[in-house]
Amino acid sequence: MNTTDMTLMNVWQAHTQQRLFRRLLEAFSYPGRLLDATDSGTTARLAILATLLDGEVNLADPHGLITPEDRRRLMASAAAPEQARFVVADAARVPNFTPALGSLESPEFGATLLLEVEQLGAGSPLLLTGPGIASQKQLAVHGLHPDWIARRADWVSAYPLGVDIILCDAKHFAALPRTTQITQEAL
Amino acid sequence: MGYVAIKGGKAAIEGAAVATNCLRAANENDVPLALDAIEGQLRLLVSRVVSEGGLYHPKLAALAIKQFQGDTLEAAFALRAYRSTKPRLLETPPQNTAHMRVIRRISSAFKDIPGGQMLGPTYDYALRLLDLGLVDENPEDFRAIARRFLDDAPDSELPDSFPKVLDALRGEGLLPPLKPVAGAPFDITRQPLIFPVSRAAALATMARAETGSLLAIAYSNMRGYGDVHPTIAELRVGYVPVMLPHPVTGEPMEAGEVLMTECEVVAMFEGDDQGGKPVFTLGYGACFGHNEVKAISMAILDRALQKGMKDGASNPSEDPEFVLLHVDGVDSMGFASHYKMPHYVTFQSDMDRLRTTQAKAGNDTALQKETL
Amino acid sequence: MNNTYELPLDEAGYAFGFMDEYAKKEVRRAILKAICIPGYQTPYASREMPMGRGFGTGGLQLTLSLIGRNDTLKVIDQGSDDSVNAVNLRQFVQMTCPDVDVTEKTEEATLIQSRHRIPEKPLTEAQILVLQVPYPDALVVVEPSEARRKTMHGEADYSRLLVKLYEDIVKFDEITISHRYPTRIHGHYIIDPSPIPRWDVPKLHQSKALVLLGAGREKKIYAVPPYTLAEPLAFEDVAFSVEDFRDAQGNRRTCSRCGAVDSFLDEFSNEAGEKIYQCSDAAYCNEQLACQTRHAQTTNTEVFA
Repeated sequence: MNTTDMTLMNVWQAHTQQRLFRRLLEAFSYPGRLLDATDSGTTARLAILATLLDGEVNLADPHGLITPEDRRRLMASAAAPEQARFVVADAARVPNFTPALGSLESPEFGATLLLEVEQLGAGSPLLLTGPGIASQKQLAVHGLHPDWIARRADWVSAYPLGVDIILCDAKHFAALPRTTQITQEAL
Repeated sequence: MGYVAIKGGKAAIEGAAVATNCLRAANENDVPLALDAIEGQLRLLVSRVVSEGGLYHPKLAALAIKQFQGDTLEAAFALRAYRSTKPRLLETPPQNTAHMRVIRRISSAFKDIPGGQMLGPTYDYALRLLDLGLVDENPEDFRAIARRFLDDAPDSELPDSFPKVLDALRGEGLLPPLKPVAGAPFDITRQPLIFPVSRAAALATMARAETGSLLAIAYSNMRGYGDVHPTIAELRVGYVPVMLPHPVTGEPMEAGEVLMTECEVVAMFEGDDQGGKPVFTLGYGACFGHNEVKAISMAILDRALQKGMKDGASNPSEDPEFVLLHVDGVDSMGFASHYKMPHYVTFQSDMDRLRTTQAKAGNDTALQKETL
Repeated sequence: MNNTYELPLDEAGYAFGFMDEYAKKEVRRAILKAICIPGYQTPYASREMPMGRGFGTGGLQLTLSLIGRNDTLKVIDQGSDDSVNAVNLRQFVQMTCPDVDVTEKTEEATLIQSRHRIPEKPLTEAQILVLQVPYPDALVVVEPSEARRKTMHGEADYSRLLVKLYEDIVKFDEITISHRYPTRIHGHYIIDPSPIPRWDVPKLHQSKALVLLGAGREKKIYAVPPYTLAEPLAFEDVAFSVEDFRDAQGNRRTCSRCGAVDSFLDEFSNEAGEKIYQCSDAAYCNEQLACQTRHAQTTNTEVFA
């Protein structure tokens, strides 16, 4: 990384986090839309976590994707995947836990899952409909184990309970709120 | 000098600032108030603002009082807004009020208590007769007052701290033993109140609540919309040392002290949950500054809310939502004031509804008349 | 008392956007959850701002958590950029967010904070609307307890609200709710859309832009995502209707300033006691007027007086 390149943002700085947040906002407002984190100077995964997390929330990292140093800087306390407000996971691996789904009175306690895939914009297309999508939207994903889609369908079946997902590869991300309906096209 | 909500908003706001400041300085023979004078001679006013602002900073409270010309709601608001911009450096561990350097300490529950009843600075037994001698107070006489008090003070020293009356009651088994509480206390500045809330959240909310609001609701309980029937086990006012961990050694050290008022009331006894001996129930009130009525009200409401949280509310003072959502001065004064803002679009909408409804009623009357 | 304490007169300046980064993060997290659960009132701690609760601190916290140096901000109150509240808020944002542009033209804004109106001009995907909210909960008219309301919302049990509307109809032959018209979002949560007139409620439906609603005093954030169902409550035989701007003869009133026949009109009396009607949306009115001036210049016809 060229540390004198002033165009690279530092994900621990306020202005960077504001810009990244606006892209996350766009991702959630328009599910399936691909957003870019290349100029953050780090992985999309870390850029997203640095933007959203602080000492007031907890994070589960069942697949050990975050380095101890980054973990310290994120400040989020550790929690089990079943209880955490944020979970970061390898999307190629089968999900072996049920995340927090919230409650009828407090659905916001349904977790946010950050799933790292091989590549966004290539691979099997997911067909998306729902809030934020004018008619329908295609999102191609490579490296997302199909069990995630199946399990997610269960998790979001009792709206307003559910989980909200951010998919990311090394440079890009897209969001799937619990309100998005997903059908996978047969190949 | 009409203010049309459509045009000239900026000029109006600027004009308002000039006019308010002019009223503050209207007496041309006056001298600007010194912050020391406010902090010293209006200390109870400063105590109220520090308490309702939720920030122990008597000098800034004095500034706020000066700037907002004595309006306690505005002054507390300014302190609160200031606090909200400050970075959080660290959170202290719980402080022990048994170490308070008391200036006043009484108990209504007992005739005498270990350490003694220390009446201290209070107006409780003063005659509320206006002292016309204060109208033209001689500065020399004024300066002699404190000197004379200190000269007359007896040589024997007061103990550094006084034991808590409640500890004696606990020792006798008349109060339940203290239970250690796990986890960090609820932080009302970081987390929203989602009911049902913990006792810690209720106490924190009341600690910086507006005094009049707390008093009114507590009074309703005292008068019969509730059955706390309190006796003050101890009321103490004084300076609590703030112990912080040393940044290097981690040893607790005194970083400073804050003036606080603490009130512990003992209320009706009830059987305990496990069917053991009945014990007295406890109400606790504490706040920044010297604010006795507030601390007493808070203690009564603490007891009332605990009862309400356990058994359901049979009176407004026992209803946590009713109490905790309506006692914050910044919230309540803000909303009361907001009615002064333009509401002409909503009013336009209201007029439309009324006219349509009136027209329908008119048609119906006309129809009725026709058919008669 | 610590007599040696010196007031820090050279206090460091405020952070960009006044709020500290933890406060902004909490708001940002709440915003994302609000979008994921359309219409649900997401609780947040809500910091005190230097303006009163009730004066837009909720909308302001949203704006300050969203805004960056690339943004162009528009602030309106009752549709007007020059209204005292709008001026105050806009100046505060300019003071605490250097390098942020402000505008009065709706189409130039990336962020619009508004009290009681949605701009007449349809918004685009590149814009975000922030509405200031005094009462976030449509159910408060039938249930004072927040805890009980949360249960009703979770279960989408709005029977008591429907009964209240029905009682209105029986009594007055009309639904008498004027502004704050209860509107169902994404088929579940019924929201109080803030004190916008009924005229503006249809703009929430399938909007291209995200609409965020912030209640500072009540400490709630909620959202109507883009391209989402927003259905004002109605009955089969009593449809939802917007305000009626027709005169006694049944003709639609026009703006006395620009002649528009399709905007929400403010009604007031002039010095002579005559009723005047003008566009509430000042930017819209200015745009119509500018259009006519240009048109008059090119065709040499008289401007509508």
